[in-house]
Amino acid sequence: MSLRKVANVVGLLQVFVALFMASAAGVAAIYGEAESALAILAAAAITFTVGGAVYKTTTFEGDVTTREGFAIVTLAWAATAIFGALPYLLTGTLGSPVAAVFEAMSGFTTTGATVFSEIEGLSHGMLFWRSLTHWLGGMGIIVLVIAILPYLGVGGMQLFQAEVPGPTPERLRPRITQTAKLLWLVYVGLTLVQTLLYVAGGVGWFDAVNHSFSTLATGGFSTRDASLAAFESPYIHWVTIAFMYLAGVNFALHFKAATGRPMYVRDQEWRFFTLLLLGAAAVIAALNLTAGSYDAIEPAIRHGLFQSAAIITTTGFVSADYESWVPGAQMVLFTLFFVGGMAGSTGGGIKAVRVLLLLKHTLNEIRKTLHPRAILVARIGRKPIKEDVLAHVIGFVVLYLLLCLSGALVMGLLGMDPLTAIGASIATVGNVGPGFGAVGATDNYGWMSEPALAILSFLMLVGRLEIYTVLVLFHRETWKARRSYH
Amino acid sequence: MRVVIVGAGEVGFHLAQRLSEEDHDVVLIETDPDRAEFAQQQLDVLTIVGNGASMSVLEEAEVRNARVIMAVTSRDEVNLISCLTARKLGVEYTVARISNPEYYNRSSVLSREQMGIDLMVNPERECAWETYQLLQSSAATDVAHFAEGRLQLIGLKVLEGAPIAGRTLLTLGEELEDRHYVTAAIVRDGVTEVPGPNSTVEVGDQIYLIAPTDEVKDIPPLAGHPRFALRRVMIAGGSTEGLYLAKVLEQHGIECTILDRERRRCVEMAEELPRSLVLNADATDLELLEMEGVSGIDGFVAATGNDETNLLSSLLAKSIGARKVVSLIDKFEYLGIVPRVGIDASVSPRVSTVNAILRYVRRGRVITVASLAGIEAEAIEFQVEEGAPIAGKALRDVGFPKDAVVGAILRGDEIIVPRGDDRILVDDDVIVFALPAAIHDVEQMFS
Repeated sequence: MSLRKVANVVGLLQVFVALFMASAAGVAAIYGEAESALAILAAAAITFTVGGAVYKTTTFEGDVTTREGFAIVTLAWAATAIFGALPYLLTGTLGSPVAAVFEAMSGFTTTGATVFSEIEGLSHGMLFWRSLTHWLGGMGIIVLVIAILPYLGVGGMQLFQAEVPGPTPERLRPRITQTAKLLWLVYVGLTLVQTLLYVAGGVGWFDAVNHSFSTLATGGFSTRDASLAAFESPYIHWVTIAFMYLAGVNFALHFKAATGRPMYVRDQEWRFFTLLLLGAAAVIAALNLTAGSYDAIEPAIRHGLFQSAAIITTTGFVSADYESWVPGAQMVLFTLFFVGGMAGSTGGGIKAVRVLLLLKHTLNEIRKTLHPRAILVARIGRKPIKEDVLAHVIGFVVLYLLLCLSGALVMGLLGMDPLTAIGASIATVGNVGPGFGAVGATDNYGWMSEPALAILSFLMLVGRLEIYTVLVLFHRETWKARRSYH
Repeated sequence: MRVVIVGAGEVGFHLAQRLSEEDHDVVLIETDPDRAEFAQQQLDVLTIVGNGASMSVLEEAEVRNARVIMAVTSRDEVNLISCLTARKLGVEYTVARISNPEYYNRSSVLSREQMGIDLMVNPERECAWETYQLLQSSAATDVAHFAEGRLQLIGLKVLEGAPIAGRTLLTLGEELEDRHYVTAAIVRDGVTEVPGPNSTVEVGDQIYLIAPTDEVKDIPPLAGHPRFALRRVMIAGGSTEGLYLAKVLEQHGIECTILDRERRRCVEMAEELPRSLVLNADATDLELLEMEGVSGIDGFVAATGNDETNLLSSLLAKSIGARKVVSLIDKFEYLGIVPRVGIDASVSPRVSTVNAILRYVRRGRVITVASLAGIEAEAIEFQVEEGAPIAGKALRDVGFPKDAVVGAILRGDEIIVPRGDDRILVDDDVIVFALPAAIHDVEQMFS
């Protein structure tokens, strides 16, 4: 493990972050918010200087080893969240450094949990910075660097794998740099289309851009206190539903469709994800109609679909206060917290493919009690899944659930009621944002103590980097070379 | 006819044996000196030690004067290059043994014609396909196909209570007038006879019939076999043939269980067979066979790759009540005992490959030849050429050998069940069933 190499990449990354931060200062300037613009610019300058200095004083030689890859990705994300917190502090938007890091972490990990009870009073510059952190974190800051710089070379795949969600990332092109570029291209393209559709529906440019950033990253930050409920037009809701869904689908599939090879239907994970979403929405709509929460069919379906999509893709937008729905509808949403988007999407959570694989494996185990000597292979589509991949997935799901449970336990110990504790834990590990109880649809995380915010920030990071990447750094052997006898 | 065979493995050796016994000049090319030496001693053939894909070796084998080259090594690519090279050197027909489906698929970029190969044979697939046909035609001990599958030759035993037992062929022919069966042979007490109108069918006879494929299913009930539908099959042994058969069964929607003792092989098969149940077990594990429902199963196939294990496994399956048991047997010595010990049928991977190749290379315009495992007889499909002695004459006038019978005449899409006054015309396909003594005479009449 060469810390010099790790520091080098992490430093370089901060230079990039600083450039994006400066763009937020530009937005503040456009809206005539001089004070805010200067503060953000100062934050950018500090980030640039520190990052640049680290980059200049260290060197990067050779390739990235597996261990270094994990360290680079985890530390890069942690550093990015810390520097990303500077604008909140320097503009005086937030006083507590812990709360600021929480907000920045929530942004970069596309969780969308906020400590603000009112955001409409924030400057345009800061609102833009919040949304921008989502957008950068959505496709991945490392993937962005790989796309721009061939500098990481062979080790790029290591980092790519550690950051892109899903069991095994798909290569679209022989070179990892090209793959990263294509993914970003699709991402930027979809963001552009959504923005235009918003503007066509009468949304102002600022709101349109910010919400598009937030949607495509499956983040959840809004520029309005009431989130998407602030827009009454059903058209805006439908556009948001469509793009939340698109952001939850594997971007490799989008790329293939854009190049004239649509393969959605052939992809079993896609079918599973889509049917699950539609099924959940239908059940919620039916329950809400029966209970009389909505008078008309369209709003019932729209809000059912909106909230289902917002939770399953881990976006976390709110179009209606789902905590006022009947318990059945709430429990359906609760279940969706554990699914997440597709592998290769910007969504968080366990990921549809892992849930699907686990279900298949469980069915196989049941079948195996009937045929004790049977050799059964789980498949996704036609593709048989190797046993080691399956073991990895089972390990992941167990760790994920353990993490949710221990998160909830700690929140409980810190004095939260069980529903809030569980809600906060699953909403941060899954990068969803809003949970249940005191962190529900219309609430925020601002009331929490600093230790609680710190722990939840960590959970968001672990959830975004899919657990193993972060937890492996806590393993002794990552830091010590294993003693070798030959 | 001069024949060059590349590869003296199982298939190559027996091809060489069969062809040299039929008075063809065989040159056998083999890389392994020991194996070449063995073939030299055992067979009346010329062996050359060398790489069959190399031009100099092929020239040494005088491939330009050969009628056919048969590249039957276990490596597809060697076989392909052998054939390509030999074709350039001027050989007339090329036959390649190809196991990888990608090479013979119609979707392949390189078509068979482009590669200059007249026949591609996949031994494992031939064997699996033959086994499948045997399973499907419940009562049959032998099945062979003619005219691209439009006609079948099936062999089966006449059981107690069969409607046809004790009758002469003449009366049967009158009763079953709307059917198109031809009785090609009757085996009674080990003696094979091509029957005449006055021959009778008795209980215990083994009879061979030629019939259109769509009418074959009506034959077993006439011979006293119950009707049955193939729904559930177990394959004991994950040999290549076994795996192919499982794929064929899956394609036809038949429930299939396949087992192998090697765990790794099981995983491989489980990955390739989405709808079959793969078990990691021994083919002779009686307890397991019972637990997995072999009693009452429609079909049981032993395909472990080991003759002795196959025989034992088949016997176990039969003893606990599997309905149709087929064993894969490679050793010719064992083929004879299969019917005697109560196993319903056997398929020899080697024989099915050799058959598939021989079909294309017989003298004259022979299209298909089927050698039957149990008896000394062959069913041959001829195409009638201009100037053949038999062309244009009525059957009763040609003086057909006593030990041979015309099973069917195919004229375009029409299938004719021949009577004495039917004529054989140029371009007809004719299926002849003949005992060894008559084969030579029959071939004369068609060449």
